[in-house]
Amino acid sequence: MSASDDQEDVAKVLAGESAAFEGIVRRWQGPLVNLAYRFCLDRGRAEDLAQEAFLRAYRALPGWRREGAFSTWLFALATNLYRTELRRIPARSLPLDAVAEPGFRDDTDEKMAADARDRAVRRAVLALPEKYRDALVLFYFHGMDIAEAAGSLRLPEGTLKARLHRGRELLRGKLRLLAGLSWKEAR
Amino acid sequence: MNDEAIDRMLAAETGIEPSSGFAGAVMERVRGEAATPPPIPFPWARALPGLAAWAVVLFFAVMASGSAHGPEIAAGPGLWDRFLSGASIVLAAANRYGAGWIALSLLISLGCVMLSMLLTRGKT
Repeated sequence: MSASDDQEDVAKVLAGESAAFEGIVRRWQGPLVNLAYRFCLDRGRAEDLAQEAFLRAYRALPGWRREGAFSTWLFALATNLYRTELRRIPARSLPLDAVAEPGFRDDTDEKMAADARDRAVRRAVLALPEKYRDALVLFYFHGMDIAEAAGSLRLPEGTLKARLHRGRELLRGKLRLLAGLSWKEAR
Repeated sequence: MNDEAIDRMLAAETGIEPSSGFAGAVMERVRGEAATPPPIPFPWARALPGLAAWAVVLFFAVMASGSAHGPEIAAGPGLWDRFLSGASIVLAAANRYGAGWIALSLLISLGCVMLSMLLTRGKT
């Protein structure tokens, strides 16, 4: 994925060649769908959200000021849309107190237990208050890059760090039950 | 569970692949968008003189009302006093005809329309 490809395609689209937008869609469909998936853990909804994000990006292209990378602008636009849509129709998630599903302890397969625990942690992230949820989702989506995550959320890096710290604290507190899952691993 | 464990679990999240028709579906919508003519902008340049004229006429109508119904105020010193007097007479007349209720019902209707638009936004 090169920034110059994006620049070229954007220039063509702005010149009236809307078919050039397909290059942008093909380059960024994976990241945008995956980002949406991390917000809702629902493949169908993730694709709907990503599709809407591309359409919004197409409409907003003339307003892109080219001050930063195209990807930064696209992620910020998509993140904003996903957050708005999730506020409107929240993702299905368990309440934090119910995160540790009792069925986990009955799993005989270690791998299954680990997968179940990971899923529970992801659901717990979605059940966090919005500002901590967004910080954690974007931080891990961007490969733990603070600057990129802050850019997508349009937040100062310091604010993001504080939210990450508090978000992790909340997760740790609420997931204490999950630590009990390791009893099988210790046996 | 410490930070490292949380980092490990959340960073290791495997992604999903968009379905094969995803890009095509997006481009179909983009083509539809491109084919749609842009919305006609509200003609503010033409509307503004009319709105300004309407405001001037309203102002003088209120002034005239103040002069006709309050000669003692009309003879007073200030233009502003005459305007306020006229405005109070107009408001009193509007009140007699239940304008407050009409305004309230219009506001409620507007609220209903805006709420419906908010709830259905993005569903079409």
